[in-house]
Amino acid sequence: MAVDMRLPAVRKQVPSFSEAQEKHLVVPGDVITTDVGFMRGHGTYMDEEKLTASVAGEVERVNKLICVQPLKTRFNGEVGDVVVGRITEVQLKRWKVETNSRLDSVLLLSSVNLPGGELRRRSVEDELTMRDYLQEGDLISAEVQSVFSDGALSLHTRSLKYGKLGQGVLVQVSPSLVKRQKTHFHNLMCGASIILGNNGYIWLYPTPGQQDEEAGGYYTSLEPISLADREVISRLRNCILALAAHKVLLYDTSVLYCYESSKPHKIKNILKPEVMEEIVMETRQRLLEQVG
Amino acid sequence: MAGLELLSDQGYRLDGRKPSELRKVQARMGIFTRADGSAYIEQGNTKALAVVYGPHEVRGSRSKTLHDRAVINCQYSMATFSTAERKRRPHGDRKSSEMSLHLKQTFEAAILTQLYPRSQIDIYVKILQSDGGNYSACVNAATLAVIDAGIPIRDYVCACSAGFVEDTPLVDLCHAEETGSGTAVALALLPRGGQIALLQMDARLHQDHLDPVMEAAMTACRSLGQVLDGVVRQHLQEVSILTGE
Amino acid sequence: MLKSKTFLKKTRSGRVLKVVREHYLRDDIWCGSELCVECRQESPPPPVLQRDACRESSLCASRHYIIPDTNVVLHQIDILEDPLINNVIILQTVLQEVRHRSAPIYKRIKDVIHNASKHFYTFTNEHHRETFIEREQGESANDRNDRAIRTAARWYSEHLKKAPDGEELQVILLTDDKGNREKAEGCGVIAYKCEEYIKSLIGSPELMDRLALCTDDANEITSSKILFPEHLPLSRIQAGIKSGTFLQGVFRASRDNYLEATVFVQGDGDDGTEILIQGLQNLNRAVHQDLVAVELLPRNLWVTPSSVVLVDEGPKGDEDGDGDEEEQKMLKCDASESMLKPTGKIVGIIKRNWRPFCGMLSRSEIKEATRHLFTPADRRIPRIRIETRQASALMGQRIMVAIDGWPKSSRYPNGHFVRSLGSAGDKETETEVLLLEHDVPHQPFSQAVLSFLPKMPWAIAEEDMRNRVDLRKLCVCSVDPPGCTDIDDALHCRDLGNGNLEVGVHIADVSHFIRPGNTLDQEAASRGTTVYLCEKRIDMVPELLSSNLCSLRCNVDRLAFSCIWEMNHNAEIISTRFTKSVINSKASLTYAEAQLRIDDTNMNDDVTRSLRGLNALAKILKKRRIDKGALTLSSPEVRFHMDSETHDPIDLQAKELKETNSLVEEFMLLANISVAQKIYDEFSECALLRKHPAPPPSNYDILSKAAKAKGLVIRTDSAKALADSLDMAQVEGFSYFNTLLRILGTRCMMQAVYFCSGMDSDFHHYGLASPIYTHFTSPIRRYADIIVHRLLAVAIGADCTYSDLMDKHKQAALCNNLNYRHKMAQYAQRASVAFHTQLFFKSRGIQNEDGYILFVRKNAIIVLIPKFGLEGTVFFENKEKRGPRLLFDEEVPSLTVEGHTFNMFDRVKVTISLDASNIQHQKIRMALLEPVYRREHVPKRTTGGCAEVTREVKCINSS
Repeated sequence: MAVDMRLPAVRKQVPSFSEAQEKHLVVPGDVITTDVGFMRGHGTYMDEEKLTASVAGEVERVNKLICVQPLKTRFNGEVGDVVVGRITEVQLKRWKVETNSRLDSVLLLSSVNLPGGELRRRSVEDELTMRDYLQEGDLISAEVQSVFSDGALSLHTRSLKYGKLGQGVLVQVSPSLVKRQKTHFHNLMCGASIILGNNGYIWLYPTPGQQDEEAGGYYTSLEPISLADREVISRLRNCILALAAHKVLLYDTSVLYCYESSKPHKIKNILKPEVMEEIVMETRQRLLEQVG
Repeated sequence: MAGLELLSDQGYRLDGRKPSELRKVQARMGIFTRADGSAYIEQGNTKALAVVYGPHEVRGSRSKTLHDRAVINCQYSMATFSTAERKRRPHGDRKSSEMSLHLKQTFEAAILTQLYPRSQIDIYVKILQSDGGNYSACVNAATLAVIDAGIPIRDYVCACSAGFVEDTPLVDLCHAEETGSGTAVALALLPRGGQIALLQMDARLHQDHLDPVMEAAMTACRSLGQVLDGVVRQHLQEVSILTGE
Repeated sequence: MLKSKTFLKKTRSGRVLKVVREHYLRDDIWCGSELCVECRQESPPPPVLQRDACRESSLCASRHYIIPDTNVVLHQIDILEDPLINNVIILQTVLQEVRHRSAPIYKRIKDVIHNASKHFYTFTNEHHRETFIEREQGESANDRNDRAIRTAARWYSEHLKKAPDGEELQVILLTDDKGNREKAEGCGVIAYKCEEYIKSLIGSPELMDRLALCTDDANEITSSKILFPEHLPLSRIQAGIKSGTFLQGVFRASRDNYLEATVFVQGDGDDGTEILIQGLQNLNRAVHQDLVAVELLPRNLWVTPSSVVLVDEGPKGDEDGDGDEEEQKMLKCDASESMLKPTGKIVGIIKRNWRPFCGMLSRSEIKEATRHLFTPADRRIPRIRIETRQASALMGQRIMVAIDGWPKSSRYPNGHFVRSLGSAGDKETETEVLLLEHDVPHQPFSQAVLSFLPKMPWAIAEEDMRNRVDLRKLCVCSVDPPGCTDIDDALHCRDLGNGNLEVGVHIADVSHFIRPGNTLDQEAASRGTTVYLCEKRIDMVPELLSSNLCSLRCNVDRLAFSCIWEMNHNAEIISTRFTKSVINSKASLTYAEAQLRIDDTNMNDDVTRSLRGLNALAKILKKRRIDKGALTLSSPEVRFHMDSETHDPIDLQAKELKETNSLVEEFMLLANISVAQKIYDEFSECALLRKHPAPPPSNYDILSKAAKAKGLVIRTDSAKALADSLDMAQVEGFSYFNTLLRILGTRCMMQAVYFCSGMDSDFHHYGLASPIYTHFTSPIRRYADIIVHRLLAVAIGADCTYSDLMDKHKQAALCNNLNYRHKMAQYAQRASVAFHTQLFFKSRGIQNEDGYILFVRKNAIIVLIPKFGLEGTVFFENKEKRGPRLLFDEEVPSLTVEGHTFNMFDRVKVTISLDASNIQHQKIRMALLEPVYRREHVPKRTTGGCAEVTREVKCINSS
C-alpha cells in the first residue's frame, strides 16, 4: 500500500479581513450587554444582571432575543429539519436514533410508514417485528417532528423521501456547515444523489432509477453499483471533506462546483492540503461570481 | 553539591525566567475533525492534547444518567514516551485516576451542565511530553477543547502551578522545580469571577506561605487566561472569516 | 522581553533518559555598570559597578573592571576578599562552576558579592541573549565554559565602549590558563594571569602574600623526590568504594601524635568504625577533617594505637630528615593480638576540608628566604609552607594561613598568608585565635541585626499583654552566680492554703523579642549559644536583650514565660500550667546570698520563705531523681579571680557548690522535663528535644580497670547500677578517690545532643534518667531554648506558628548546627581556661602542688591537681637522650619507670611552671617531685606535649 507522508510544515496564517470586525464575536465569559431589556437566548447566561456569553461564537439578535451561535456544536434540531441518523437501539414502540444531537432522537413506531399504505393499523404484531423494518446500525433519513422538553428530538418518516438508506456513503461534518435550504435532497448532475442532513450527516448514494413505491423505503437493493457511480460518489465525499475542512457552507451548488473544480485531480489526491486548498479556492471564486 | 539552585541571587530561575514569569505558551484549537472539540497546548516543554466528545446520550450503564444535568467523564493519560523514563501504563494507575478526578471536579465547576440533562460530556486529555505542570496543561487544553466543542461554560478555566523557593513564590514550575522545591500547588481559576475551581497541594506548606503562593498562582492564571483568550479569539476570527461570505 | 529558545538534551545514565529543558534568553539583563545608559530597567537597583573603578596598576593605567575565571575564584578567593579588590564582575558561569566544585568557596564568594562596598556584580550571562553560547560538537564542558567566559568578557568590553565616556574603561579577564589567555587575546579581550595582575598593583605589595601558590610554581620549590604515593583519581576511588575495596570516611588526625590518625567510617545508623592510620606514607597528605578513601591493610600489618605522644618537630628545611623514620619506629610495639586495630592507608582524597588556619610562622634559617614554614595552633594540622616577604614583620605574630595544595613531592602542604591577627601572647590576639580556631562567630552584631531590637526606652505595651497573665504581684526572685548579668530564670513558691504549694519557674521571654525569620533570629540561630570565656562573654543575642530587656533583673517589669506547678509537700506534681506572663522580680541573689537567707533563722520575709519552700522541695526532687538512677558525676571546675584592671588572673580556685546551686538546678530540670513532655505531646514530629545516649559498655573499661586496681567493682549495666556503685566506692583514708572516680566516669559519657523528635526514636536522657528532656530555661544564652519557647507558645496558643518550625528537616539541620556550636563553645571555653591558667602560672612562677594520677600512658602520666582543677602530662622520655627504662602494662594499666610503678590514682607531687620556650604553644610544664625514681627524675625538657589543662564542662547537667 502506498502511503503518502510529509514533514510538518508551517501553518498558513489566515489573513484577517476587515469585514470580520463587523461581526460581533464573543468568547465565554464576555459580557454581551448589561442592559436588562434583552431576553436571554442560547449560548448566554446571566451573571449578576449581566448577559454573558457561555460559548465562543457570533452574537445574533432577533428583536429582544440575544443568542450566541457557536462555531461548532452538536445538532440543535428544529421542527422540519431533515436529518440522517443511525439506529442505536430498538425499544418498545420506538427506535432510538443517533443524530449527532446531544441526546439520541426518538423514532416512534407510529411515526413511520409501514408497508401497506398510510392508513394501515399498527398491531401488536408490528411491535414484535420492528426489528424487521429497522435494526441497530441501519441508517435512515427522517424529518424532525417535534422537540421534547429535554432537547431530544422526535422524528418521523411519513413521506416517501424518508426511510431506510441503502447503499451509499455517509460523511459527517459539523452541523453548522450545512446550509438551510428548501430541499435537502438533490440529484446532482454529476450522476449521484445527496441528502444533506441538517445534523451534519450527509448521505451520498447513486441516483435511483425509479421510485420503488411498494418497498416503502425498507427494501435494500444489494445490486452492485457501477464503478463509474462509485467513483463519482468517492469524489463527492472527498470534495465535501475538503469543503468542510475549509469551513465552506455545504449546499448543492457548492458541492457541485467543488466537484467540478476537482476534476483535474485524482480522487485520492483531493485530500492533499495543497490540492484541497486549490479546489476550495476555485469553488469559493465561482460561488462569489455567482452571487455577484 | 546538594540539589540545584532553583533561584539565583539575581532572581533568575534555572531556565532564566523570573519568579513570576510563565513559560512560553502555544496553543491551537480544532485539530481533529471527528471530535466535537479538540485542542493542543504547549507550556514550555509540557505538551498536552485534549479531546471533547458530547454532549451525547449516556453510553454504557444508564445508571450514571443524571436527570438535571450532564455527566462529565474525564480521562487523563500520559503517553508512554512523555516522561524521562518510559512509562509502563499510559493510564489507569493511581496518579492518573486521581488526575482524572481532579479534572472532572474542575470542569463540573465551569461547564453549565444543567443545560444538558441526561447527557454526557467526555473529556480526554493526554500528556505528550511532561515537564512539570501536567495538571495545568491538561486543564488549559481541555478548556480550549470545550470551547471548541461549543459547550457552554461560565468562563475559561485557567490552571497554573506554583511553588515556594527561598521565600519567593515561583509560578509555572518546570519539572526540576516541581521535584526540587518541595511543595507544588496547582490552582485552577475562573479568571473573570476570580473563583477557584480547584486547589491542590501534594506536600506540606506552612500556612503563612499559602497566601503569597496562591496569590502568585492566581496572577499567573490570569495571565494565562489572557493567552488563552487570544488563542480563542484568533481561532474564532479565522473560522468566521472562512464561513462568512 | 522574553526571547525564548528551547532545546532538548538527551543524556544517558545507565538507561536512556529523555531530558527536556528550556533555556530562556533575555535581553533585559542589566550590565550593572554605573556608566551604562543602554540597559536601564524600569526600576533600576543602584548600580553595582562604579564609574571610576580605579586601582593603580602598572599593567593597566586606566579604569577597569575585572572578570575572574573559575579557577581564579577557586584558588584566589583570599585575594578577591581583600578590600582593595573591587569592581569585579562574577559571571554566572563562574559562579555555577564554583558552586559545583567547592561549597565553602561558593559561600565566601557569595558573601563578597553581598558586601555592597566591594562592588561585585553577578552577571547572568547564561541567560543573556548576546552572551549565551551553545556547546559545540566535540567541545568539552570546560572548554565551553571558558568560551562562555570569553564571550561575556568581550561583550562587556564592547558594551561599555558604547556608553558615554566609556572608551577608556577596560574590562580585564583574569585567568591562569595559558590557552584561555591566548584565545581571549585572540578575540580582543585583555587578559592577564592573576599573579601578573596582582603584582602590577601599585601600592599594595602585601596582596602578593595572599596569592595562592599555583601548582606549576610549587613544582620548582621542592626536590623531585617523591615522598608520597600518588592519590588515586576520583573515578577509581568511587569504583573502589562501590566494590568495597576502599572505605570512605572522615580523617581525624591525632592530637598527640602527628604520625597517627584515625578514619571514622560511618556505618549504618549512628555507629561507625574507626580505622587506624600510621606513618607518613600511609597518612598520604590527608589533613584533619578531609573526606578520604582508605584501603585496609592485610591483617598481619595491623597495629595498635600507640600511646606515645609525638609532636612534629620536623626537619627544619624541606629535606627529609631521618628523624621521621626513627619516630616511626617508636610507634612499633609488640602488643597482644587482641589490641590490634584495623589499620589502613589513605589511597585518595574525596573532598578536602581546608579552612584558613591560625598559627605562627617558624622562620626559615636562611635570612633572605621568602619561603617559611607555618605552624598551626591546632596540632592536628600539619605545618604549612608559605611564601612571604614580610616574614620579619610577621614573626611573633599570630597569622592566618590557607592551604593551596599538597604536591606529592613535598613534605608539607603549600599555602598562602591570609591575614595577621596580632602579636602572640597578647590576650586579645589569643582570644581571637581561640575563637577563630573553634569557629565561634564573634564579630559585633551588624546593623541589620541591631535594627530588629526594640526601640529604647522600652516599656510593656498594651498589645504585649495579650495572651499574657500578670504575675507582678508574686514574690519572684532569681538566684545566679555572682556577676551574672544575663539572668534568664527566676523562681517563686507560695502556699496555696489548701495544703499545696504553688511553684513557678519564670524564664525570660526572649522569643517575644526575637521574631522568627528576621536577621536577628538568623544571627542567633547561627551563633547557637553564648560562649563564656574567662574574661569575656560572646553573646548570642545583642547586649540590649541579654543584659537588659530579657534579663529578669529585680524591681523591673519583665516579660517571662512561666511554668507553674501545683505541688504537695512531697513534691508531687498535682497540675502543671504554662503561660506567658509579666513578672517583677523582688530580689536578684547570688548563690551565697540565697544560702545565707535560708540559713539565717532571723530572716522571715517573703523571699526567704519562698526560698525555704523551694529548698525543701528541691531536696525531695533531687533524692527522687537520684533514686531513679540519675548520675552525679564530677568534674573539676575552676574559677579565676581576675584583677579588675588588667583582667589578669590573680587567683585560681576550684568552684565549690552550694545547696542553692542544686535548688535552682532541680527546678530547672523539672521545668525542662515538663516542657519537653508538653511540646512532644503537641508536636510529635517536630519537637526539639535533648537526649543523652547511654554509652557503649566498652567506654567504661578504664573506669572498671581503675576501680579494680583498688579492689572495687563498678557496675555499669545501667545508670542506676552505676550511680549506686559509684556511691559505694570509697577507699579508707582517701576521700578524694570517689571524686576521682566520678571525674573518670564523666569521661566515659557520651555527648548529650539536641535532636528533632520526628527524626529519631530514642529520646532517653541517660545522665538524668529521664525518658524525655529538652532545654527551656536559658533562652538568653541558648538558641535551642528559643525554639522550645516558640513551640510551647504555639502549644498553649499564645503565639502563631511559622513554617520552618514545623519542618522536621530544617529542625534537624538546626539541631546539627546547635550541637556543633555547643561542642565548639565548650572547646573554646577549655582553651580559654588553659590560656588563663598559663597567664596565672606565668605570674606565679614555679609552684609545687599535690596531685593524683588520672591516666597512665605509654611514656607519660596525666596528673590532676585538685586545687586548681588542672590536668597536665608528665613525660618520662625525650628524643635527644635515651629516657629512663619504661615498662607499660596496658592491662592494669600501669607504667613502671626505673622500678617505680605508677598506677592510676596514685598521689604524686609535681612542680608546675610555664614553659614559654615555644611562644605559640606556651605550655604548663609539670615535673615529678615525688615519688622520686632513681635516674634523672626531672626530665630536661618535655617532648613538646603541651599539658592538657582542662576545665571539664559538665556535659550532663549543663542545664
